[in-house]
Amino acid sequence: MTEKSRVLSTIAGSIVLAFLVLPIFAVVPASFNHASFIRIPPEAMSLRWYEVFLNDSEWWKALLASFRVGLLATTISVVLGTAAAIGLERVTPRIRAILLGVVLSPLIVPVIMTSIALYYIMRPLGLHGTIFGLAIGHSLLALPFVVVNVGISLRSIDPNCTRAAEGLGASPLRVFRTVTLPLILPGLAGGSAFAFITSFDEVVVSIFLAGVQAKTLPVKIWEAIRVEFTPVTAVASTVLLAITLLLFFGVKVAGRRLASESAPHGR
Amino acid sequence: MDAEPRPLSFRKVTKSFGTVRALKPVSLQVDSGEFVTLLGPSGSGKTTLLNIAAGFLPSDSGALFIGDINVTELPARKRNIGMVFQSYALFPHLSVFENVAYGLRVRGLPRADISRRVTETLLMVQLDGYGPRRIGQLSGGQQQRVALARAMVIEPAVLLMDEPLGALDRQLRKHVQLEIRRLHRKLGRTTLYVTHDQEEALVMSDRIGVMRDGRIEQIGTPDDLYRRPVNAFVASFLGESNLLRGRVVQCGGTEASITVQELSVDVAGPCALGLSVGGEAAALIRPEAVTFDVETDVGLPARVVEVVYLGELLAVRFTLSSGQDFWCRCFSHAQVPAENREVRLRWRTEDVRILPLDMAGSEGDVTC
Repeated sequence: MTEKSRVLSTIAGSIVLAFLVLPIFAVVPASFNHASFIRIPPEAMSLRWYEVFLNDSEWWKALLASFRVGLLATTISVVLGTAAAIGLERVTPRIRAILLGVVLSPLIVPVIMTSIALYYIMRPLGLHGTIFGLAIGHSLLALPFVVVNVGISLRSIDPNCTRAAEGLGASPLRVFRTVTLPLILPGLAGGSAFAFITSFDEVVVSIFLAGVQAKTLPVKIWEAIRVEFTPVTAVASTVLLAITLLLFFGVKVAGRRLASESAPHGR
Repeated sequence: MDAEPRPLSFRKVTKSFGTVRALKPVSLQVDSGEFVTLLGPSGSGKTTLLNIAAGFLPSDSGALFIGDINVTELPARKRNIGMVFQSYALFPHLSVFENVAYGLRVRGLPRADISRRVTETLLMVQLDGYGPRRIGQLSGGQQQRVALARAMVIEPAVLLMDEPLGALDRQLRKHVQLEIRRLHRKLGRTTLYVTHDQEEALVMSDRIGVMRDGRIEQIGTPDDLYRRPVNAFVASFLGESNLLRGRVVQCGGTEASITVQELSVDVAGPCALGLSVGGEAAALIRPEAVTFDVETDVGLPARVVEVVYLGELLAVRFTLSSGQDFWCRCFSHAQVPAENREVRLRWRTEDVRILPLDMAGSEGDVTC
């Protein structure tokens, strides 16, 4: 590569990267704005809108609802997704390809379509507007991430490992608890994080299914921005971003530790 | 669980994968405390047989007995077997101690007993003090010994080993072969061992079963198989062999003779079963049974092609008048023949063995 083309590709790459992270640099500074309107860049720095956010019980309720929905959705999708991933390893490749397509379909089907379908199912069942109903909806979107992450972990296990445990007298449940589960922990951690993040910043399904009780943070932000265009929405977005990043890096670090502990060296 | 070694017997066990018949009816008895090796090329069904014994694969028909108990329908966890895998299959998230202790914990033994037995077993495989190490910190040979300890510590009725030395380098393999033999002599576990390495089989086994295409071609002591193979396949699979192909001209009980048309020569000697006059056969002459002489016109004419120095032995390659290669081995203090020299090859009649070419197609043949 010549000097000139290297410079050009560096510039092009920088522009793409900037485009990817730009929203962060727009919204985060805006949250520290003193003025009553979102201005980019902010004119005077202040924590004024953080005070407003923290003192408003509506925002706290939304944050709490987000956490409850997120944790519930994570639990549901991790349990079902892990079971699905294990099941997929045991069928013939042909059937696996078909079933995997079905499991991954929520990623392909337009979310608006899923939302409408869920809305019509949840209403008569009385699940509309409940934490549980919303958690079920989010699990649907989170499931593919769990299945894929756990599946990768499962395939890295020597199949003879579980056979060895079985041969030593362990029941299937014990084999799962003492061999399979510890070995897929990195995948499980990654899958859980993705599941939680998916639920935590999900808007479309949430708007359809959220009532008063299950109003999550993104739904609240969306509502707030329509009535009052104050920087408090920027604050809420920043909080959302901070929690997501924290979780993401936390799991990355934990996952790497788990992987390095159980990785077989010197093969 | 009982701690006694038990005999293991397969009774007319079959297995197919789709249209492939992996095991034609196989019957095999491994006596209590015996070390039997299944030797064969890949795809011959030896690992399938082992997996059926372990309970990892269901057989299509036939029965499997451990001692007096029919275990055909019993899941792997209830068979009390110890299995050593080629990939070791150690638990990477557990320490050496916990790997070995696994089977004892499953059996609910008291803590003190577990600790004592694991320590004893690690000592036996010369890994004392390695208990707290992680699996990832061990070399291949050490991992192999942990796998061995893990399988033996539960005092299994039967010990099964699937090419456990396959991943080790040659030097280490020789060492571990002798190690496994020593442990077997000491503990007397009923052992079924699978390998495609003939040297491994010869060194360790009480008896060897040579497998091909889902059946056991011959089973016997290493000496039996080497000296009295039942067919040309077994002869060529075990040890070095010279095979001269021809037609049976005479066949009377334990002796037979064949005409090798290409060489216009008759070869006679003791014979295996399954020969018929006029049928195809081969004369087996082991390289160490051949002598060569330059100052005679008695014997098979041949020309020296190359002389390979093997340390204590010399391997000499000859070409016969038909163009076929013929090997001879002799001690290296013997006179080294010059290359391209014309010589005469000789052997004693009792060192020849006349064998049917192929057992697989000879089931219906008239035997003499």
